[in-house]
Amino acid sequence: MIPALRLEGVTFSYGPVPALENLSFSIAPGERVALLGKNGAGKSTVVRLVAGLERPDLGAVWVGDWDTRDCVPEQLAWRVATVFQHADQQLFAPTVRDDVSFGPRALGVGEREVERRNRRALEDLGLTAHAGDHPYDLPPALRKVAALAGALALEPALLVLDEPTIGLDRVLRARVTRALLDRSAASVALLVITHDLTFAAETLERGVVLDRGRLACDEPLAGLLGDATRLEPLGLVPPPVAALSAALDLPGRPVREAEVARELARVARGRPAP
Amino acid sequence: MKSLTLDRASFWYPATASPALRDLSLEVAQGEVVALVGALGAGASTLLLVAADLAPRVTGGRLTGAVTRRDRSGIVLPTPWTQLSGMAFTVWDEVAFGPANLGWPPHEIARQVDRALEQLELVSLASRDPATLSGGELQRVIIAAILAMDPGLVLFDEPAAELDAEGARTLWRLIRLLAREGKAVLLATSALDALADVADRIVWLEDGAVRAVGTPDLLADVALCDAGLGTSVATVWRAGGLPQPYPLTVAHALQRWR
Repeated sequence: MIPALRLEGVTFSYGPVPALENLSFSIAPGERVALLGKNGAGKSTVVRLVAGLERPDLGAVWVGDWDTRDCVPEQLAWRVATVFQHADQQLFAPTVRDDVSFGPRALGVGEREVERRNRRALEDLGLTAHAGDHPYDLPPALRKVAALAGALALEPALLVLDEPTIGLDRVLRARVTRALLDRSAASVALLVITHDLTFAAETLERGVVLDRGRLACDEPLAGLLGDATRLEPLGLVPPPVAALSAALDLPGRPVREAEVARELARVARGRPAP
Repeated sequence: MKSLTLDRASFWYPATASPALRDLSLEVAQGEVVALVGALGAGASTLLLVAADLAPRVTGGRLTGAVTRRDRSGIVLPTPWTQLSGMAFTVWDEVAFGPANLGWPPHEIARQVDRALEQLELVSLASRDPATLSGGELQRVIIAAILAMDPGLVLFDEPAAELDAEGARTLWRLIRLLAREGKAVLLATSALDALADVADRIVWLEDGAVRAVGTPDLLADVALCDAGLGTSVATVWRAGGLPQPYPLTVAHALQRWR
């Protein structure tokens, strides 16, 4: 199977400032990958390369069987949908509905299909009530969700999201998680930059960690997130639920809230009352 | 001494019928860290804009009730990149922009800038062009730029949003330090798990009004957990059906478990 995304020995600098060095990893269709690391590790640069906004100095970025060096960004939009770190800059239409429709319309999708995608994306993210609002009348956190709705409406093979949960409350974060799990189940690959490891634990399955532009670690999140001694040198801290699971030595060391709650209940039932 | 007092404040954004803040009274004292928590749209960001005297002065709209500020305020917005001056080509100059506009003498500007850069661990980036920074680095620059103006009342809206774990730790420590120096700090954050060690008081906002006020233990309260505003540990403890009181942090949970 052709990977949804493949980076092959990618090196990139901003002028004299090196950003990525010999970076290689790939993502299969439907796979949910967290791109982690300290500020300045090169995560957002990966996003810009995958979206075709930058070209690697060395190496190659493949989106499916397309080499991004041969593609312009609007061509890549057939396969990649991106929500950038400062998503405000992606919103420009007078209403949320128009903004979400813009991408599929620009790809030449028919109006009925645009309407279907629009309705689904807004419903999935709880934005239906805001469809007629001007995006800039929304709080910043919701603007990012509106940008995410626009990305979902493109129905891409690969979704690339840079910090999608900033400022979101638990209810909205759960909606984002559900929407992304749905897309992943339909074979959409996810590459998500996040410092929110609680969200990563709930939504994603594999962690690719960058350290000063190099690949420092690439493994399942379930094992990684509860392991403080391995996370610490990577500049990461276990999310509280994973830390709790590890501190109580719960069987299987789960990291997702529902699984930790279930194990807590099970173990507590087997213990004598205090 | 009170740095900020809101007395039955209500605020309407332009062309809206229902208020974003409703009859809200709140005091923030010097040396105190007060954290606003609530669902999205509960009014936390609006309250910070009112406290900063940006609403209605800049946003438009209508404010009723009384707002009393004893100290000059500085606000870190949830969109820090919009706070760049656009007139500076190094981080040092960016951080100096605010103090320079306050008309301070050069040696005082330099003292405050150097101090703020050190506090935010930005010294190594002092000569970088702000346009080349990552999101988290930029967020720290904006925080430094606000602190370099030495505000007595510091207002933070999602200040850790783009910070990595180390940056967030530095920020939360710094916020406690600001309080020890006698500054009043009012912050809004969705990083609820950090608040146990940072906030003196938690203010739960709902639909523009104060629903409850308490110590950080409030974040392990049943009602807050039900509203999705409990800490992760309290929430998972509750979801597991374990008895109250719910632990606030991993350390509390370990004590309860033994």
